[in-house]
Amino acid sequence: MNAQQLGENVKQKFGAKVIDFETLGSDQLYVTISPDSLVEVAEYLYRNEGCRYVINGGTDRRQQRDAFLITHFFAQDEEKIYVAIHTEVEPDNPQVDSITPVVPAANWSERETYDMIGVVPVGHPDPRRLVLADDWPEDLFPLRYDVEHGVKPPPVEGLAPERLEPPEGASVVPIGPYFPVLEEPAYFRVFVEGETVVGADYRGFYCGICGYVHSCSYCQAVERAAGIEVPERAEYIRTIMLELERLESHMLWLGIAGHIIGFDTVLMQTWRMREPLMWLCERISGNRKTYGMNLVGGVRRDIKPEMYDDVRNVIDKIGEEWAELAGAIPGDTTLITRLQGTGILTTETARELGAAGPTARGSGLAIDVRVDHPYAAYDRLEVTKCVHDSCDNLARVLVRIEETLDSIKIIHQALDEMPDGPIMAEIDEELPAGRQAMSAVEAPRGEVFHWVLTGTENRPERWRVRAPTYANLQNVPPMLEGNALADVPISIGSYDPCFSCTERMEVVDVNSGQVRVYTEEEFRAEYDQPRDE
Amino acid sequence: MFKELCQKSFPKSLWVYHCNVGACNGCDIEVIDVLTPYYDAERFGIKLVASPRHADVLLVCGPVTRQVVPALKRLYDAVPDPKLVIAIGSCAVGGGIWFDSYNIVGGADTILPVDYYIPGCPPRPEAILHGIAVALGLAEKEIESVHLKQLPDRPESVPVEVEGS
Amino acid sequence: MIASKLKEAILSLRPGRVTLKYPFEPHDPEGDFRGYPELDTDKCIGCGGCAAVCPARLIMIQDIDQNTRRLVRLLERCIFCGRCADVCPEDAITMTKRFELSTDSGREDMVAECEVFMATCQRCTRCYEPPTPLDRIMEPGFRDDEIKRGGQDSPYEPVKSE
Repeated sequence: MNAQQLGENVKQKFGAKVIDFETLGSDQLYVTISPDSLVEVAEYLYRNEGCRYVINGGTDRRQQRDAFLITHFFAQDEEKIYVAIHTEVEPDNPQVDSITPVVPAANWSERETYDMIGVVPVGHPDPRRLVLADDWPEDLFPLRYDVEHGVKPPPVEGLAPERLEPPEGASVVPIGPYFPVLEEPAYFRVFVEGETVVGADYRGFYCGICGYVHSCSYCQAVERAAGIEVPERAEYIRTIMLELERLESHMLWLGIAGHIIGFDTVLMQTWRMREPLMWLCERISGNRKTYGMNLVGGVRRDIKPEMYDDVRNVIDKIGEEWAELAGAIPGDTTLITRLQGTGILTTETARELGAAGPTARGSGLAIDVRVDHPYAAYDRLEVTKCVHDSCDNLARVLVRIEETLDSIKIIHQALDEMPDGPIMAEIDEELPAGRQAMSAVEAPRGEVFHWVLTGTENRPERWRVRAPTYANLQNVPPMLEGNALADVPISIGSYDPCFSCTERMEVVDVNSGQVRVYTEEEFRAEYDQPRDE
Repeated sequence: MFKELCQKSFPKSLWVYHCNVGACNGCDIEVIDVLTPYYDAERFGIKLVASPRHADVLLVCGPVTRQVVPALKRLYDAVPDPKLVIAIGSCAVGGGIWFDSYNIVGGADTILPVDYYIPGCPPRPEAILHGIAVALGLAEKEIESVHLKQLPDRPESVPVEVEGS
Repeated sequence: MIASKLKEAILSLRPGRVTLKYPFEPHDPEGDFRGYPELDTDKCIGCGGCAAVCPARLIMIQDIDQNTRRLVRLLERCIFCGRCADVCPEDAITMTKRFELSTDSGREDMVAECEVFMATCQRCTRCYEPPTPLDRIMEPGFRDDEIKRGGQDSPYEPVKSE
């Protein structure tokens, strides 16, 4: 089945309720439907066509179409198709049916869409504010085009966010303001009975540190929308940088995981192994972490042939040490007792709530964008999906360890096969306006998804990003249930929660505010007594 | 003078509380990197502590978001005197590329009195160590503002006014 | 168990002491590192291309009189991406290897300004014909009169230093 056939299926099933559909290549489908059929169509895709929910976004198109555009994104991994469901909502009555009751994974993104453009999701089970600051005015929606860029409303003191009440008999243990071991802002309220966790409420918002994946995904989306052919060498360079970043990130993560369970040797040693890799990236790209190599049309810097040996030496050295480490872990009872059987995330929950990346693969869901929706040079390389089905923290550790070794193989293969040629496509004219495209990249933490609607003057009109942790953190409350309190940090840590990426260089969109992290509740919770007495 | 006072107040080891006020994690990771074997900031007595009440130094990473402003003020109050604030990374120094976003208030010095600035995106671990060395009086700062002219003898012009400085 | 611990111990002990002597000995970046962007005033023609592409919008261009154009760069928020150096037609901007940019005397230290002598066309008193990179500076978001410092319009009260 390709996108065209899937579109025809939907058209046949819903008839006149499907206003129009178009495809981009054989793998991207855009369906426009009438607002009253949104829930039915979403349920049909989710239940009958085996689609996975990705994210929801809202666009202010009052200037062009006199409507708000609400879009839900789905992925059909087996058939390698991404689906976007567009619905146009009248600006006088900005309401749309919520699909969260039938697609639970839509919970956060529908709340966020309300925050940003003010279209009310009718029937949402938990319509609290998600992303905006507590003192942000109720009637100001920052992504509407009539709201000035960089508007700074005056502060209001003493407002607290709405919180979920704990179940009867349970007490609340706040974890946060800063996730204690990572010093990152996140606030969890864990409901406990004795030492066992019975529920959790969470508010926070992350994105990846993965500086390269987002720029890569964004550039791919724009290239796709504008029909730009990227030179093959640039695709290979992107692939190599993506894999180097995965190596770096997984090594970092294992160290942090060791730190969380109080085994600091792991932190020190993995970060020692990782340091030569950082120097390598600095030699290639000019910066240790923000590589800054992607541009629409290709890459800015070449990996010169004389550097190949350098790359091979560094990753081979890491590979050797990593294999030794991987051999030592299964026998280490300290690690095994902390990891095995803790933080269980069942396969069903992971699918319901749209988990991504190693989190999903540790729960037996065989999804990997590199294989399912190949991009850059991955269709020419051998990529193995590393899947474990024990659903616990150990499974997620093992998935990452295996992926690290797999990455090294991929880099070797890419270096062998990399063709000569230009690294940038020539782009002479202005990019066309009003085109759209989706693009996904497998970040170290899971699927990064970008949707771009191009605008005039080479600027995007709307750019929607989903970072993997956004999907994964929604899985935290069900996973924590039934765990001992002491296992909470490593369970949360096992998702590799992380902040927004460092590199969105070419576009400063109003959208950028969306990836900020919100941390206020924390000190309120921990230092709730007034301090000036 | 203030600098001398600082160096006198903290003769031995600095205990550091690291707080992320909206950073992308790039700087946070480099801060942890500084503690790992290749850089080992514990040579200088630097220690990350888990509570602001134990800290001498507040490391601020990231542009200050609206949501953290009250928390950041309370955090600053919680650090006992005398205290230092170090802004790490371009975002904490001047707001970074987010400086005029609706949800960003600005760099760390918009809210707190900042003593040391370490620009970079993210700063290399060496740059962070250099910043610490400057704070400890082991090194001198190596940067100053630049004023260049193609025609040096041009008659005196109006000084540049940068709004908000 | 013991075998595993032994393996781990060997893995940890083998590399020996790796700590660098920095800051007592230099440890400079290799390759084309992107550090402090230096501007060669003699080469700059004042075209403003750098201001148009800068993601942090930190380059302000003012025409202070008929013949003089001033570039003020608020490098405090520079993300060191190097786009300015890429687009400069005269290669006036170089990304140097300088990374030790810490300062204790405020972000003024990161301000760099330069005055460029602009020869004007005798006939029309303009320097270029449109569209030039300069015209692009007039696009929303890149206008020189709008450039702000981070935190300039913050609605919050700062904490006072004692």
